[in-house]
Amino acid sequence: MSQRAERELKRVRRKLKKKNLKAVNVEAAGKSIRLSGSAGNWDERVRAGYIAAGHGFKGVINDITVDGITEPEMSLPLVSDEMLDGREFDAVIVGGGVVGCAIARELSKMNISIVILEKEADLAMQASGRNDGMIHPGFAASPGTKKAHYNIRGNRMYTELSKQLDFELKRPGSIILFKTAWYKLLLPIFKARCRKNGVEGSWRSLSAKEVRRVEPNVSPSQKGGFILPSAGIVSPYRVTIALAENAVENGAEVFLNTVVRDLESADGKITGVVTNRGTLRCGLVINAAGVWADKLAEMAGDRFFSIHGRKGTDAILDRSCAPLQRHIVGMPSLLGTKNSHSKGGGIVLCVEGNILLGPTAEEVPDREDYSTEPESFNNLLKQLYLNTRLNSSMIINYYSGVRAASWDEDFIIEPSEKVSNLIHVAAIQSPGLASAPAIAEDVAQMAVRALTSAGVRVLPRADFNPIRRGIPAVKDLTAEARTALIKEDPAYGEILCRCEEVSRGEIRDALLSKVPATTIDGVKRRVRAGAGRCHGGFCLPRVIQAMASELGVQVTDITKKGGDSAILIGETKEEAAREAAV
Amino acid sequence: MKQQYDKHRYDVVVIGSGPAGMAAAVSAADSGVSVCLAEREERMGGILKQCIHDGFGLIRFKEKLTGPEYAWRYEQMVRKRDIDFMGLTFLTGIEKRENDFKIAFVNPERGVFEIEAGSLVMAMGCRERSGRQIFLHGERPAGIFTAGQAQDFINLKGFMPGRRCVILGSGDIGLIMSRRLTLEGAEVLGVYEIGSAPSGLTRNIVQCLEDYNIPLHLETTVTEVHGKERVEGVTVCRVDENKKPIMETALFLACDSLILSVGLIPENDILAPLDVDIDSVTKGPSVNQRQETSVPGMFSCGNALHVSDLVDYVSESGHVAGKMAAARVLKREADSGQMVIKKAGILQYAVPQNISFPVNGQVPVFFRPSEASDHAEFIFRQGERVIHKKKLSWLKPSEMHRLELDLSKVRQDGPAVTFELKPEAVNE
Repeated sequence: MSQRAERELKRVRRKLKKKNLKAVNVEAAGKSIRLSGSAGNWDERVRAGYIAAGHGFKGVINDITVDGITEPEMSLPLVSDEMLDGREFDAVIVGGGVVGCAIARELSKMNISIVILEKEADLAMQASGRNDGMIHPGFAASPGTKKAHYNIRGNRMYTELSKQLDFELKRPGSIILFKTAWYKLLLPIFKARCRKNGVEGSWRSLSAKEVRRVEPNVSPSQKGGFILPSAGIVSPYRVTIALAENAVENGAEVFLNTVVRDLESADGKITGVVTNRGTLRCGLVINAAGVWADKLAEMAGDRFFSIHGRKGTDAILDRSCAPLQRHIVGMPSLLGTKNSHSKGGGIVLCVEGNILLGPTAEEVPDREDYSTEPESFNNLLKQLYLNTRLNSSMIINYYSGVRAASWDEDFIIEPSEKVSNLIHVAAIQSPGLASAPAIAEDVAQMAVRALTSAGVRVLPRADFNPIRRGIPAVKDLTAEARTALIKEDPAYGEILCRCEEVSRGEIRDALLSKVPATTIDGVKRRVRAGAGRCHGGFCLPRVIQAMASELGVQVTDITKKGGDSAILIGETKEEAAREAAV
Repeated sequence: MKQQYDKHRYDVVVIGSGPAGMAAAVSAADSGVSVCLAEREERMGGILKQCIHDGFGLIRFKEKLTGPEYAWRYEQMVRKRDIDFMGLTFLTGIEKRENDFKIAFVNPERGVFEIEAGSLVMAMGCRERSGRQIFLHGERPAGIFTAGQAQDFINLKGFMPGRRCVILGSGDIGLIMSRRLTLEGAEVLGVYEIGSAPSGLTRNIVQCLEDYNIPLHLETTVTEVHGKERVEGVTVCRVDENKKPIMETALFLACDSLILSVGLIPENDILAPLDVDIDSVTKGPSVNQRQETSVPGMFSCGNALHVSDLVDYVSESGHVAGKMAAARVLKREADSGQMVIKKAGILQYAVPQNISFPVNGQVPVFFRPSEASDHAEFIFRQGERVIHKKKLSWLKPSEMHRLELDLSKVRQDGPAVTFELKPEAVNE
């Protein structure tokens, strides 16, 4: 170990002691720093993790245990078969989030075989489907970080991508509101950061009056602000699905309900990917496993970082609020606690017209903890003060997601140093959605290099088609176009979801698309049936029936989100028949 | 009744063919005007189609009917008249013009099309509040249903939403579903109501809970849902007088489903672009005694106007709206003025909210008290002049009252009109 590393370990030990974290052990583990021992509670464990970061190690591995808390294991699909056994792919992408799907799409420009393995019943089921859909302007990340670099590039790429892949992108811009006039002193710093990061658009400061002019319902407590016009919004799961569908159109395959159980290695190389559906042969593995990326790294014998889950809750307001807010706004507190690794939240807009509040930030042991609870929800409601005309009765839904954070708080995007055919794309938390297209470009290049050096001849596909058409949102068509479509296919004229005005035809399309919906939530994410104010109260029974008849399955087979989440548990009279038989 | 898709103009267009809309169409047609009845589902009847229990029509038909039977009677009345019914037809927009309305619809046969209407009756009914609107927390498994959804699944589709159910909220549909689930062999662990009194009708408490030994837990609510994929249980908790959970009383109940019956909201979202005055209590439009909204020529009735306890009242309000909508087309006489009716005492709300002049005849007035009271007096006065008084007993917010009042005694140039519900102190 280098003298420098020794010195840094000592510094970390000292800091831990100062914070009274006496039962924590510190050691070097390869180029990383590893924490072990125990902490009194989860907060202490988190504190220790951050203390170990920023000391020049490649990564922080936090193996501290907390009495009374066992980190829940990853949830597993119910399926078990041999469907994939013996299949061989040049690139195996583990994780069907926005990053994995963007990489698949990028790689599908090449003449190689690609597969996405996703353990959930749909794509974008974890962080990629559980965020605020913001395409950040690239201001928040510190200059020089991977976050800043990829965010700026990715933000720019979205304009073209939204046209190619037929998803909606809006750029309402975001305004950082000033809580006190003192914030104006920070303007030179803001501007310097914009220049350093390369933030696009005509970012500028606004007086309180100017803010009121562009955002009439803004809180009267604001003392001016800083506007970043390049801030955009998308539907994050629609982007993910669009990327994957275009990859599929160009030859990639997607397997849902497929979890990687183990990796077989030989000579510093992964040779087999063991799943619940058989063992695949692979040229290369891309670790886009989100909150479980460190576990996948461990399977490959290359665990140099650890992921900790940071939960965030968002709330969604009724679409009828759309005219009340024009920009994304936040009023950050500069006096936030040192360990608050979130941009503080605020009001975000949704492409569908809803207004979104969020997100909160809370460290959680369960990386799949999607529950909501009153305390953080009530904190979330405080964001309502940013707009004088919004109130909590306008809320129609709320949800939580879990960020895949590393202790260094930056993305990990690099080929493995230990395994020649493994690329890590890990710790992709906010601004991961905004960054994904740019990350994918670089990762695709890394992948091509790795495959080429392994002797694979990688060439661009001559027939790559960058264009993907989504399911038409029939309600947004002109009357003429809508009528023409309905005359051709009357299913587009039968409205099943009244709140979001979704037709039977669109629901059917969701079930027949390139990466088809197989669940109620899958239909909702693709075409918004059940995403409105009645929360599926009226349409759920109709959507279930439409799904069952379209898919040729029993109504009782339809699940909310795969696994054991069947909506209905049997037919009426079944129980009576059973009792009569006994 | 004909299926007619070529007409572009009607005197009266009725939106929604539940018990209110069917009644409105019948009354409008009986006034001799052309009528179109638009319905987003395939068939008439609205929510009555899934209400297979009895107790409907005691006032209207002096008989105890099931929901489908009640709907069938009205459907026959519609079919006997010259009313154009458009099924599977979804309203997408309303434009108010100088003297009429232009209404946009979409349906599988015609695509997008427009119809002109002299006047419009809005009878869209109501929707159930979801778990999100009462800020239900915890995990997000399958197995959480509104009572209406559960009713649809069991009664119309023949499927069970759960076998071990907890009911949150004591609205009438929740009570009825407690019984229905029990009859279908499910176990109903109890009905949990955050308030200090049930929100459903007393007769449903007796016939749906007491008769089946289903416990009703007042001042108790569900604070957390458990189960990652399917509901595995809920935490129930007593609440204090501010409806805040008393955490020491938290109790885990293993169950596979949670049925919500936590309130109904009139469906008037389509009216938002027209700036119709909405009563902040009823969530329906503010109307005058003709059930005309603040937009002249637009009438409201049934549960879209205010949520009723009895279908009989829903139909009655439909008849009034239909008749008045037709009268507006036939006469076109301008109102000579409008007066807002003030509320006083323990009155939660009263419909109508306004009086339009000229006034003639008796009109039904519906109201609910804001709190329970053994005895109270309803006073209808203009200024200090009492026009009508009526003593009432055993009032509860969950039970709606109906009175017939003679509004023609109101003087247009007089002081403000007030409906007051005055609780009476009772000597033991």
